[in-house]
Amino acid sequence: MPFFDVIKWILWKDMLSEIRSRESISSLFFFALNVILIFSFSFSVGQDVMLALMPGLIWVAFGFTSILGLGKSFLSEVHNDCIAYLQIAPVPKGAIYLGKLAGNILLMMVVEIILYPLFMIFFNMDILAKIPSLLIISFLATVGLSALGTLFSILTVQLRAREVMFPLLLLPLSVPVFIGAVEATQGALSGDPYSSYRHWIELLFIFDMIITIVSFWMFEYILDY
Amino acid sequence: MPSLIGTKISHTYRFFKALKEVSIELQKGECYALFGPNGAGKTTLMKIFATLLQPTLGSVSIMGKDSVQDREAARQALFFIGHKSFLYEDLTAIENIEFTIGLRGWRPTLGEIKTALDRVGIGAYASQKSRYLSAGMQKRLSLAKAILARPSLLLLDEPYASLDEKGIDIMNESIRDFSNQGASVLISSHDRLKAAEVAHRAGTLHNKGLKEVPITELANALF
Repeated sequence: MPFFDVIKWILWKDMLSEIRSRESISSLFFFALNVILIFSFSFSVGQDVMLALMPGLIWVAFGFTSILGLGKSFLSEVHNDCIAYLQIAPVPKGAIYLGKLAGNILLMMVVEIILYPLFMIFFNMDILAKIPSLLIISFLATVGLSALGTLFSILTVQLRAREVMFPLLLLPLSVPVFIGAVEATQGALSGDPYSSYRHWIELLFIFDMIITIVSFWMFEYILDY
Repeated sequence: MPSLIGTKISHTYRFFKALKEVSIELQKGECYALFGPNGAGKTTLMKIFATLLQPTLGSVSIMGKDSVQDREAARQALFFIGHKSFLYEDLTAIENIEFTIGLRGWRPTLGEIKTALDRVGIGAYASQKSRYLSAGMQKRLSLAKAILARPSLLLLDEPYASLDEKGIDIMNESIRDFSNQGASVLISSHDRLKAAEVAHRAGTLHNKGLKEVPITELANALF
């Protein structure tokens, strides 16, 4: 079975199920909207202070949303024991991981793209010109979070205490992503030259590479044993 | 070459021994019915043959491929219908088949899928999401997937559960078809009479081991 065909089938199945049920996208969107609303009512500060707070607020919202979304990544596979079929399917298990990862990145990016305009509205920030660089940072951070989240989702999906275990595993290991994302977002929002926050982008990129490769390699052992 | 060779298979769940030195051999086109009381280890044995579990001791060969060393090749040869349906609830019957067979590296045409669904009597529900199908219909859908998968070894764990009379007839007709086409079928069931209609050989799991029972004595055998 060609490797990329497996990725395509997994992505097709996950996206079709999500389009039909809208289960994840709606819960993620309303959760993130609640976080934004709470923050917007909590802070009544000037534009300068808000600009300094904004990167943290953005990544708190995205971080909690990713915990909620990524933790459910393999839940649909538990119903009817579909996970057993994935286990015995004659395909490379790493391709299943990459298919799941692609679906998670797509889902998280859709939510983040919807949320950026809401940040602009609720915090009265003019960040339209900075959206392209913010999206690049978001993409790199989302890849890192999703790579970890997809792996920990399969690890915890069959546990009774998965809602507790998933964030316990995800949050400590995703600290480099949050640091890199917050610092790079700070640089982009402040209008600093790219060279001043390039090293944070590089950190995100390298972290993505390492985590994706390690998770890809580990996934087969987790699914099969 | 036998389709399935299980040699001295033992399996232990932590401190509980589920199977002890079970050996079995299935020739091409042969249908074997496996019986035994609850907790005898039937499902454990089926899961070992389906490569969902690894035996603690012993070995399994499927179409000449070792189920641990050459797992992917062994998996390509088998198809497993278990207790659960392996169906995605938000996908239609057609889409579930496309996904399952797609992962086996083949894309059946819409006509082939509809023919398989008609064959198992749920052609009218082809575009229905699987969440709206009854347990019996879901079992039939799994059978349609097996028909299209064309495996060399078909593993059926409780194939008659949830099926009505018509469904049981369709299941048995399909098992006969598989056998006639050269595929081996291993059935694990509690329904001795229904399984005896299609099985060439039978055995019972008793005291963690497997004992052959002549088909003619199946109805009166005590397990």
